[in-house]
Amino acid sequence: MKPGAGIQYAEDRDSKKSNETITLAVAGNPNAGKSTLINSIAGTRLQVGNWPGVTVEKKTAFFEHDGRKIKLVDLPGTYSLSPYTQEEIIARDYLVNEKPDVIVNVVDATNLERNLYLTLQLAELEIPLVLALNIYDEAEAKGYRFDLEALSSMLGVAVIPTTATKREGVKALMTAALAAADSPRQSIPKPITYGDDIERAADAVVGGLSAEIPEALEQYPPRWLALKLMESDSTVLERLGMPADSRIVADAVGHLRKAHGDDMEALLADARYAQAAGLTREVLKKPDIRKRDLTEKIDAVVLNRFFGIPIFLAAMWLMFKLTFDISKPFADWLGAMISGPFKRAAEALVSIMQAPAWIASLVSDGIIAGVGAVLVFVPVIFAMMFFITFLEGSGYMARAAFVMDRAMHAIGLHGKSFIPMLLGFGCNVPAIYATRMLENPKDKALTALLIPLTSCGARLPVYVVFIGTFFASQAATVLWSLYVMGIALAICVGMVFKRMIFRGDAPMFIMELPPYRMPTFRSLMIHTWEKGKHFLIKAGTCILAVSIIVWFLLNMPWGVENKKDSYLGQVGQVIAPALKPLGFGSWEAGSALLAGLVAKEIVVGTMGEIYVKKEEEGEKKEAPPIREELAGIVTSFGEAVKSAGMNVVSTVGIATISSDESEEKMAERMPLREELQKQFTPLSAYAFITFVLLYMPCAVVAIAMRQEFGTWKWYGIAFAYQIVLAWVVAFVIYQGGKLLGLGG
Amino acid sequence: MSPLAFMAEGEKAEIISLRPRLEGGGKCPDCMEHLKDMGLRPGKQIEMLTNSGGGPLLLKVDESRIALGRGMAMKIYVRRESL
Repeated sequence: MKPGAGIQYAEDRDSKKSNETITLAVAGNPNAGKSTLINSIAGTRLQVGNWPGVTVEKKTAFFEHDGRKIKLVDLPGTYSLSPYTQEEIIARDYLVNEKPDVIVNVVDATNLERNLYLTLQLAELEIPLVLALNIYDEAEAKGYRFDLEALSSMLGVAVIPTTATKREGVKALMTAALAAADSPRQSIPKPITYGDDIERAADAVVGGLSAEIPEALEQYPPRWLALKLMESDSTVLERLGMPADSRIVADAVGHLRKAHGDDMEALLADARYAQAAGLTREVLKKPDIRKRDLTEKIDAVVLNRFFGIPIFLAAMWLMFKLTFDISKPFADWLGAMISGPFKRAAEALVSIMQAPAWIASLVSDGIIAGVGAVLVFVPVIFAMMFFITFLEGSGYMARAAFVMDRAMHAIGLHGKSFIPMLLGFGCNVPAIYATRMLENPKDKALTALLIPLTSCGARLPVYVVFIGTFFASQAATVLWSLYVMGIALAICVGMVFKRMIFRGDAPMFIMELPPYRMPTFRSLMIHTWEKGKHFLIKAGTCILAVSIIVWFLLNMPWGVENKKDSYLGQVGQVIAPALKPLGFGSWEAGSALLAGLVAKEIVVGTMGEIYVKKEEEGEKKEAPPIREELAGIVTSFGEAVKSAGMNVVSTVGIATISSDESEEKMAERMPLREELQKQFTPLSAYAFITFVLLYMPCAVVAIAMRQEFGTWKWYGIAFAYQIVLAWVVAFVIYQGGKLLGLGG
Repeated sequence: MSPLAFMAEGEKAEIISLRPRLEGGGKCPDCMEHLKDMGLRPGKQIEMLTNSGGGPLLLKVDESRIALGRGMAMKIYVRRESL
């Protein structure tokens, strides 16, 4: 078959009518700036979901451009279309089965040859294509000179230089993509030629297929299909139900095997790569002198064998410190807003509606106390997500994996596993999903088992309440001790599991370290929002529901006088004896921990509901008039901004501000803290927060683990080992502390 | 010919071969193929950026920095310029 003869297969591609939706599939290498480009095209219209059957993230957007309806699909970043990684299989299946109208191939202009290797594979799919030569500004700054016309004519497609970070060329790219959709036959790339021997063999395979399984030729691009069969591509063989040594192929490639050896795949891959290299030589002139670029200079320090780990630890410390310093004033403000104006407004609304007393109680003691206790932590979580996004976007995250690889080997994992675990500090749920970046199923499972030990943002509310009550003067140290304990236990547990369940050699480590880049503000915001919004949704749905259920369980049987005799109280009483040796054998603690199985922040919400006392009528202050209320909201927000700024300054050691005053104010506002002081000693409080850190992954993690692994097995193991671990560690802390005379 | 892992920091070399896949064996039968897709192919000029005795190493191929474990680096053979 001659190159281009596949037009027959593409013949049914007619230009789009103006009212039809045009599907654009965006394909490219990892780190080619694909996601920035998509953000600048679709922005907040992107919807994040999963590819069917797997948990690789799928981003799509529907929007209109120049009056045309467009569906944009972001394919996973891949180096090739071979079936070696899940991402490659997904991208390929989508392109072959869904046949999008146009492929937008994002190519890193600073690394042309390797990116063109993918382009040439895309070109064989007989789908119209436009090429975005992205990161064009950096390539020019390096002195690269491109012959865009030559590249365009050799590939047979439009080539548009783009700089997604500055949103340059994006418009021209969209115009070219729409033009390609309108004249598809002119926009199908020229496929590469492999030389007569291989082309003849491919023709023979197509001939054999048309005689024996003609329907396959309608479903797949014939020449591509023939080449894949010659490569013995396992996925394609499986889809067609053909054996690897099928006669159709064996006859065609017999003489090739004699001439070139058995590895047809290597032969074809080498031919493609040689074409990519040749194309690059033709269209790109690089300057002779290569300067040591900034990335290499930074890496020389950051990856240094002596400084690497200290720098990483310092970066982590700074991240935590900034997270808390920036978010705390906002969290305080939000807390004051919810327990003050917002609660008063809700109560006023309920009384206007003349709702019965139990509804009033459900709203203020159930919903506002429960959801409010959790919402207060939105600023902390968003701040943490912001810094994690920054670490990812800047390129440092990949370095952290590199630096930590050796340490991770001790627990039978490699450095890449460290990234999901690091994400776990934000929220364990995305961390579980992030384990898909690990190729080996064993690595994935072990990493997922250890992730719940990294202390997530949802546990913070519990710590903050207890630390604020009992350890206000050493707050940072106590908080740190919890994070460090989580990491230390992850190492111990990892070593045990490595010997028990996951015996075998150390895993493989392959990873590309992207160049350092300053993420754009826009992409930082978009990705922070994407990560943080799950928490908001959780607060609005699951936590709201649990708050209501907990309220009912606390107030039933109907009209129960003492919360201790309510349903939740009764179950709490059953659990309490098991918790007694840990120093918190009260039914209140038991009930709160039980409710916290759904999500750990609910522990605080439930305690809020249990301990909250009816305010005495006489004590109840008259609500201020609305205008004053609103003014108060605004001025206190202004103060929060100022004090967040001051905190950042103090982090870098220019000024120090005391937060003692606000702590006292907080305690005044929070009756919960007074109650906790009656119920816990500092020692039992520490045992309690340790228990909260360690006891079983939350329900959302359970669902994530089920989705990611397709079985409940790993969640079961995590559940079992964590409950034992939590009990033992809290026992040791409490009983050990008592022996040491730290009070009980 | 020497294994990639023996290269010193800052040293340049040409890749001769990557050990082919072992059918049915190894924990990551496709790792070498994946490395080839990432641009680490026979004939390529590479530069060792980080190789500090233990842990993973970092090398530069064209304009990409690829980190890989020592075990794999023992199975990739190179022609070192200095030898």
